[in-house]
Amino acid sequence: MSNQVRQAQPRIAMSGAGKRYGALQVFRDVDLTVGEREVLAIIGPSGCGKTTLLRCIDGLIPLTEGELTVEGEHITGPREGVAMVFQHFGLFPWKTVFQNVAYGLKLAGASRAEIEEKIPEFIKLVGLSGFEHYYPYQISGGMQQRCGLARALAVQPRVLLMDEPFGAVDAQTREILQFEMLRIWEMRPTTMVFVTHAIDEAVLMGDRVLVLKGRPSSVHEIVEVDLPRPRDRATLLHPRFAELREHVWNTLMAEARQAEFEVTR
Amino acid sequence: MSAPTRGTRYITVIVSLLAGAAVWEVAGHLTTEAFWAPLSATLQSLAEFARGGVLLRQAENSFRLYLSGLALAIVTGAPVGMLLARVRWLRVALENYIMMLYATPMVALIPFILSMMGFGFAPKVLVVFLFAVFPVLYNTVEGARSIRPELIEVAHSFRSNEWRLWCDVLIPYTLPFMMTGVRQAIARGLVGMVAAEFFLSPSGLGQMIMMGSQNFDTAGMLAAILIIVLLGVGLMDLGRFLENRFAAWRGYNR
Repeated sequence: MSNQVRQAQPRIAMSGAGKRYGALQVFRDVDLTVGEREVLAIIGPSGCGKTTLLRCIDGLIPLTEGELTVEGEHITGPREGVAMVFQHFGLFPWKTVFQNVAYGLKLAGASRAEIEEKIPEFIKLVGLSGFEHYYPYQISGGMQQRCGLARALAVQPRVLLMDEPFGAVDAQTREILQFEMLRIWEMRPTTMVFVTHAIDEAVLMGDRVLVLKGRPSSVHEIVEVDLPRPRDRATLLHPRFAELREHVWNTLMAEARQAEFEVTR
Repeated sequence: MSAPTRGTRYITVIVSLLAGAAVWEVAGHLTTEAFWAPLSATLQSLAEFARGGVLLRQAENSFRLYLSGLALAIVTGAPVGMLLARVRWLRVALENYIMMLYATPMVALIPFILSMMGFGFAPKVLVVFLFAVFPVLYNTVEGARSIRPELIEVAHSFRSNEWRLWCDVLIPYTLPFMMTGVRQAIARGLVGMVAAEFFLSPSGLGQMIMMGSQNFDTAGMLAAILIIVLLGVGLMDLGRFLENRFAAWRGYNR
């Protein structure tokens, strides 16, 4: 069923997509669709171009080959209704938590009253109430990324792009944020593309996991994640979770292991 | 040893200043009046200047020149610096000239300015401007260029236009660097002021120093210098205060 919904109305559709910087082909022949309430996790070794792919979807950089549409429209630049959460948080250090969260809404032309009314709601949603007037340097990495998340959510995006959002925080914080993210997504389900290099995270977050591999990289496999939602910590104990993780691991690591063996031989 | 408390710090500073004053006083009495005047004589001169209205008039003269040149340096240096940081071809085209001018001892240009523009107020302002503008320009360019590209990407991602990008991101980020330049410009501008007053038509505090020197009135000369020193120290403090204020978000810099 979910498959049909997905195909009928893809929020994001890419076909034959490629990106090249001069002589360097980053990725090519990427075909993908993401449905309205779907989370697509993209995983691949570092340097495989997953972030580049995401930046293309955000309209920050153009594709050099192929087609990309979001909500049926060709992407020529950053688009209303699409928001990104950045790997290194991308907070403005001279703005307080409140001002950072309000940034997108303010750019979108929201009135002061509207900002005063809406922003506390998003600060609360990510669990930062009481820290409104702190500067980024005064709060932990995990809290900074909560702030980055709130900033993206505040523009009420229909497409949420996550660029290794928990890659720069410590392991425990990362786990906490993953479950927070799942909770928030259940409250406000949107189209989400979640780029990560952590296998557990990809399987936990995604309805499908797209494995990007090779140089230049291309879609190696798309793994359906048939784990029930809502997902939470119990999902990690699901036998199916272990199977899927193992499967993605094998897909991802086959080459790496082979290369390693070749070196030792 | 424990860290000095606030109280002992103040005491040390006061004792140090008093010792300096004492050395000045004693040195004045051990030498001839024409070579070095004691602090007491210097302060006496200062009081006389102040009473006669000379001090106020000359200081105002100097101050007007100084502030005009400094203000001009800031209002051109800062925006041009931002522009150079943002527009690559402009920077590539001009950076060699800027480096050359920054490295040039500005005093060397004064004869040239004299022959070009004569003795009026404008050429003096130009001298102060030339002394002060490059630190502002240079620090602004380097500061604005050091911004993490990710922050500009964030702005683009949230659909910022160029104007908003300047207001929300580039200017607030660059301000502390700009203020570092302004602080340096405050000091260099003061040098420019005295140089202009020496080498173009004599005026202001510079003229007072020259007259004192020519008339062997060492106390009068030192009085004028003392005023410039105090002015410099006060302005540097103001500069540092502003710099720290604009850099508070960095979370260090104390």
